[in-house]
Amino acid sequence: MTQDQGEEFKHLSKVQKYILQCIGCGDCREATDITAEPPKSGVCVAREHSSGFEPFFGRGKMQIIRSVWEKKLPLSKDMAEIIYQCPTCNACSEACAYDMDNVELYEALRGELVDAGYCLEKHADMSRSLVDQDNPYGRENAQKGDWLKALDVPVKRAPDEKAEVLYFVGCTAAFTPELQSVATSTVNVLRKLGIDFTVLADQEVCCGSVALRTGFCDAFESVAKKNAALIAESGVKTVITSCAGCYRTLKRDYPEYMTDFNVKVMHTVEFLDQVISENKPVLKNLGVKATYHDPCHAGRHTGIYEEPRRILAQIVDLVEMPTIKENAKCCGAGGGVKKAFPDLALEIAKSRVKEAEDTGAQYLVSICPFCHRNLSDALNALQSPLIMIDLIELLDQALEDESK
Amino acid sequence: MTQNAGAYQEVEQIVGSQYITDKDVMKAAYSRNVDPAFPDRWADIIVRPGSPEEISGIVQIANKYMIPIVPRGGGSDLVGGAASQGGILMDLTRLNRILEINEKDFYCAVECGVTWAALVSELYKRNLTTGVLGPGSGFSATIGGGLSNSTAGFGSTKYGLVPENCLGVEVVLPNPTGDIIRTGAAANKYAAPICRYGFAPDFSGLFMGDAGTMGIKTKAFLKLYPNPPFKILRNFMLNKNKYEIVSELMYKLQSQVADGMHDLYVVPREVVQLQQGMAKNRPPEAVRIKGPVFMFILEAFDSRILDIVEEKVNQIMADDATPFDWHDIDLDEVPAKDWKFTLRFPYNYFNRYVSLLPSRISCTTCHKIPVSKVAEKEKLTSKFDFIHVKDYPPESAAVFARSLHLLPNGHCVVAGGFNAVNSDEQHESAMNMWHKKIRFQVRYGAIHYWLGESISQSIVESGVYSPEYARFFKDMKHVVDPNFILSPNKFHMHSYDDNIADHIVEDEVLGETKEGGSE
Repeated sequence: MTQDQGEEFKHLSKVQKYILQCIGCGDCREATDITAEPPKSGVCVAREHSSGFEPFFGRGKMQIIRSVWEKKLPLSKDMAEIIYQCPTCNACSEACAYDMDNVELYEALRGELVDAGYCLEKHADMSRSLVDQDNPYGRENAQKGDWLKALDVPVKRAPDEKAEVLYFVGCTAAFTPELQSVATSTVNVLRKLGIDFTVLADQEVCCGSVALRTGFCDAFESVAKKNAALIAESGVKTVITSCAGCYRTLKRDYPEYMTDFNVKVMHTVEFLDQVISENKPVLKNLGVKATYHDPCHAGRHTGIYEEPRRILAQIVDLVEMPTIKENAKCCGAGGGVKKAFPDLALEIAKSRVKEAEDTGAQYLVSICPFCHRNLSDALNALQSPLIMIDLIELLDQALEDESK
Repeated sequence: MTQNAGAYQEVEQIVGSQYITDKDVMKAAYSRNVDPAFPDRWADIIVRPGSPEEISGIVQIANKYMIPIVPRGGGSDLVGGAASQGGILMDLTRLNRILEINEKDFYCAVECGVTWAALVSELYKRNLTTGVLGPGSGFSATIGGGLSNSTAGFGSTKYGLVPENCLGVEVVLPNPTGDIIRTGAAANKYAAPICRYGFAPDFSGLFMGDAGTMGIKTKAFLKLYPNPPFKILRNFMLNKNKYEIVSELMYKLQSQVADGMHDLYVVPREVVQLQQGMAKNRPPEAVRIKGPVFMFILEAFDSRILDIVEEKVNQIMADDATPFDWHDIDLDEVPAKDWKFTLRFPYNYFNRYVSLLPSRISCTTCHKIPVSKVAEKEKLTSKFDFIHVKDYPPESAAVFARSLHLLPNGHCVVAGGFNAVNSDEQHESAMNMWHKKIRFQVRYGAIHYWLGESISQSIVESGVYSPEYARFFKDMKHVVDPNFILSPNKFHMHSYDDNIADHIVEDEVLGETKEGGSE
């Protein structure tokens, strides 16, 4: 790295070790492998639903990054239009023979694009809202605790009311009326299992995932610091969240940006899997057939594959789609795609829904409100008989309330 | 907008605006393949046609405007074959349909943009195989690329090279009318594409290993074989680091085991040592690497037959080698007893050695030699590397072979090369040395397989094409490509006015190798 490069590309310089590592083999294009466990049927959903030119999958993006780094290609609006059509699902990384986190490089390029003024306007709006209102939806953050009104019992409020566990709700579940049941079901399940917990409610600040994924690193840092301070003030030992995006961000990105952030972070499902295996509560089998969609942020990004399946196996008849776990197809919503390219996000989600329909399941289950939203849109568009549901809602139905 | 604005608009009429581009960001993404010794090359237009008819139309436009075309399959070649400086780069991966798998008559028909992994995955569901599984980049590499590069791969010990399993092709000729022709039995509209010979001269051969210079392959008709369900991995380490023993054992194995071997790879001692050194998870006690490792994939239709094959291999290897397990030097490797054949094994076998951190460029010199000459060529190579040690770019590492891969009929692939620091400053010296080494190998009797640009040019530079052969080659090219639009520069054919003999380089130190490959 020359001094010049380091100064010009402050985001890429952090990952420069890997920029030349991509050999360009193209395994990230469409690797199909019937012999893999689980089988692999293609890699890049963005490529499958676009013109398919090289920049729409990993190798092309890596060549663009190299060309930018070597100053052979200037940053541009054209580049942003393509680079942001990637849901950052990291299936390319999974296909790679090298130990490379492709998404880290794509996000670094997005950081450069933002700094150079080539961000997409829809993402810029989101980022401004994040900084000004502590959430990306442009809503008054005071409304973030409204979901609690649906509950008939009080919930401890952090940071003043103390507990060992903080339930971090996330913006999508808190603000989206159809998804507030994820939050209420989480509360119900925690209560049924006798877990002492607290929530930040209207004080909760967006985790910053959307900003980080789209290259707005300053906006991310601004909200991340607020959250970290609130969590520290709460004095909790464990933060749990039912959102895969929040989970990845709190678990992987916070410690990287804030070295003093050392609270334990778990996805709610990961946490409950432990509780269930230790306490062995009575779980009712709901007698329904369900298939499970692995959210990228919970799966490929953080390795949660077995926990949801262990729970589901106890409460439903679990039938798997052809592509699952590390080889699961992405729903298409992440990485800012749903915001900037909603049609692309919908087309990708439709493919996933068709895969789910072929299993004969009644329910399509996930553990990410953002996947939930996008897949629901696809279900509606396809007029599919499948019902989208969060695992926590099924678990709420399956758990007897022994306190009553 | 490209300088070829008229051509762009006409091609756009054919493929639609979605499948054509001249944006810089797209050109950069296509500027390189697995060939970083080459400078970046930016095409003027990149196009993704969806049918032979569309390709034919584009060829006609290219002829009209005299614009060169470079066809590109999976873009995973190491020898500069699938990038274009200027002109039209034709990405053929939209031609990705498997058209027919004929289980009863053991052939298949596929579009040439189908990847090897996609085809083999479909075949495995039916207990069939293509035999040779295509190149080491089979997750990405296409059927068309495998044919254009005459590639070897896993399965080649038993089934030979990719073109040897080809029954015919459909090709768009680069002539002004963009003719679409088929070869082999597929050319007979009344016949099934069951065989390659007996209809006309073997015109399929014209397009095999042509590095994309003779036509644009759109369909391929391939042999199929029943896939033996029993496969095991077995390894032996030679007790001595002697290539004479390697030759002798290869001969015995070919004579006495032959079809029982899906593959035999011989991994040189220094490469095994490198793998040992690279292991992240090492056993507490280091194994002493005494000689090359013979890595076998043995296969059979019946476990009892497999037992016999294994016993035979054990007998042949007993005197000169001891059983070996990769797990004994790298705990992350699956022990041979637990090994199960998956496509990840053949298709990721080489990838991880191409770019070691810090990432480096790799100049491949893979070629074929007779089994009986392995020791002799190894000595010659060592001498060449010693004499030219200062000609290599600084910090280069050269090996005679990353592995030797036994082929049918008494010859083997020497998969090797050298690497260099991946910087613009080193590319030229790496490229010069690359050509020099290929010329040296050609003059010691090597026959290469993937030719692309760097190796095809080096062969010409070595002066082994007689004037008659060179003229015949050019005449054949002229028949199919009178305007010289397809894949220029390969084989040092830059135009029909160019005399390829002008590119002969007479500078080699080991000149005595001209006399038949030995000192």
